[in-house]
Amino acid sequence: MSRGGGLVRGALPVALVLGLWEAALRNGLVGRLRLPPPSAVLAEWPGLLVSGELPGHVLTTLRAWAEGFALAASVGVALGLLMAFVPAVGAMLSLVVEVLRPMPSVATIPLAIQLFGLGDAMKVAVIAYAALWPVLLNSLYGVRGVEPRLHDVARTFHLGWWRTVSRILLPAALPVIATGLRVSSRIALILAVTAELVAGQRGLGAFLAETQLAVRTSEMYAGILTVAALGFGLNALFVALERRVLAWHRGATAGEAA
Amino acid sequence: MTAPESSRRPRTRAQGPRLARRAAAGAPGLLVLLLLLVLWELGSRGGWLPIRFFPPVTAILATFARVLADGALPAHLGMTLLRMAAGGVLAGLVGVGLGLLMGYVQGLHRALRPLVEFLRPMPPVAVLPALILLLGIGERMKVAVIAFGCVWPILLNTVDGVRGVHPILLEVARNFRFSHGATLRKIVFPAALPQIMAGLRVSLAIAFILALVSEMVGATSGLGFFIIFAQRSFRVGEMYAGMVLLAITGYALNAGFLWVEGRVLAWHRESAGAVAV
Repeated sequence: MSRGGGLVRGALPVALVLGLWEAALRNGLVGRLRLPPPSAVLAEWPGLLVSGELPGHVLTTLRAWAEGFALAASVGVALGLLMAFVPAVGAMLSLVVEVLRPMPSVATIPLAIQLFGLGDAMKVAVIAYAALWPVLLNSLYGVRGVEPRLHDVARTFHLGWWRTVSRILLPAALPVIATGLRVSSRIALILAVTAELVAGQRGLGAFLAETQLAVRTSEMYAGILTVAALGFGLNALFVALERRVLAWHRGATAGEAA
Repeated sequence: MTAPESSRRPRTRAQGPRLARRAAAGAPGLLVLLLLLVLWELGSRGGWLPIRFFPPVTAILATFARVLADGALPAHLGMTLLRMAAGGVLAGLVGVGLGLLMGYVQGLHRALRPLVEFLRPMPPVAVLPALILLLGIGERMKVAVIAFGCVWPILLNTVDGVRGVHPILLEVARNFRFSHGATLRKIVFPAALPQIMAGLRVSLAIAFILALVSEMVGATSGLGFFIIFAQRSFRVGEMYAGMVLLAITGYALNAGFLWVEGRVLAWHRESAGAVAV
């Protein structure tokens, strides 16, 4: 099956859905104020990107995303590794983690508003809290899940604690940590948009809320497309980064065919 | 993240000492948690922590008990759970039904997979405003956004589960001259069930979050509404009380699901264990 043929066949249902959507609107089956025809959305999108309204919101959202994610990633990796490498710390913090984790992340939005108001600090706090868990847990379990054989290897070579950690455990845990980072980056984006939607003044979520209230429907759909494109782009970026950084890993584990 | 749990499962002997050891291992964790709570309590009472942000823990617990007893919190929790159930059941029916068909009928899979891949990465929260315009801010919107968010993990897991069914099982069905319906019901569905359950578990967390967000954006009931309204009216104690209940609910939902999953898949573990897959 050629890739090109698959692409054409795959594009067909998408085109069909868009065609039906367009036709239903042109025949007046659904009110245009509630659902704009796809052609109108696509026509609106470039204009919004050029006029500067969307790029500003995108930048606001991306900045909150970057700050929140950077905070979550650094704290999450550091704390996760500390909990994994120093068993005493792991034992001390495990219950706090277990108590905090089941609470759905969006429940922190009202608390963050109370603490930080409606500005960017509120968003960053919400994002960082929600994005913390996958990084932290994957760092922790990534190290704990390292194959026992590798521990034996370290012992056989009489590696000290530091060299065991830096040469064996960390590299072996890296793929799991990378997965945690990718999951967290996606959660960070979702929480950024959510926080803006619920209480933001600027950013893509706020743009969606504003255009929805003003019934600027095709602009709203252009905003939704932008969020989707952003999510898609960030995910692709992380997958590409993972491939580059972990290229050695795929080679090293290919023989095992896990 | 399930690996540590499953690897722990087979070891069932020597329960007593293990429990004791686990309790001993849990002691430092409990100490740290209690220490943090005591520091919070003292800090709040002593004036080092601003009381309008961090009311004393005991005050939060008293508020929690009050709103729990006067029925406000249980009523809101009920609404949230009801919405989750409605959206989740809808997503389950569509996801499992369509997933079985897509996994079973190769042509359907080829035709629909790209559409799924196109819609799936859409953050459901971003679809919320569109659904508000289409369906208003009533119950239908909330159920729809929950269903939209939950359907993808269920659908994709079902498809993968069905496609992963061992070919020998399908051959058995053919030899017994099962109809397609019977094959799906008696062979494919049970064989794909572990993966379907995994999808459902992911969706449970998503349903919880989306129910809360939709209640924060447009509702006058539900826990999402309760905590954001408490914050807006500066009743911080009630906001924390709502968060406590959310944490308990999140824990209970996960534990409850694991229990159900264990019962539903009990036969599977036994049979898979016998074949040593």
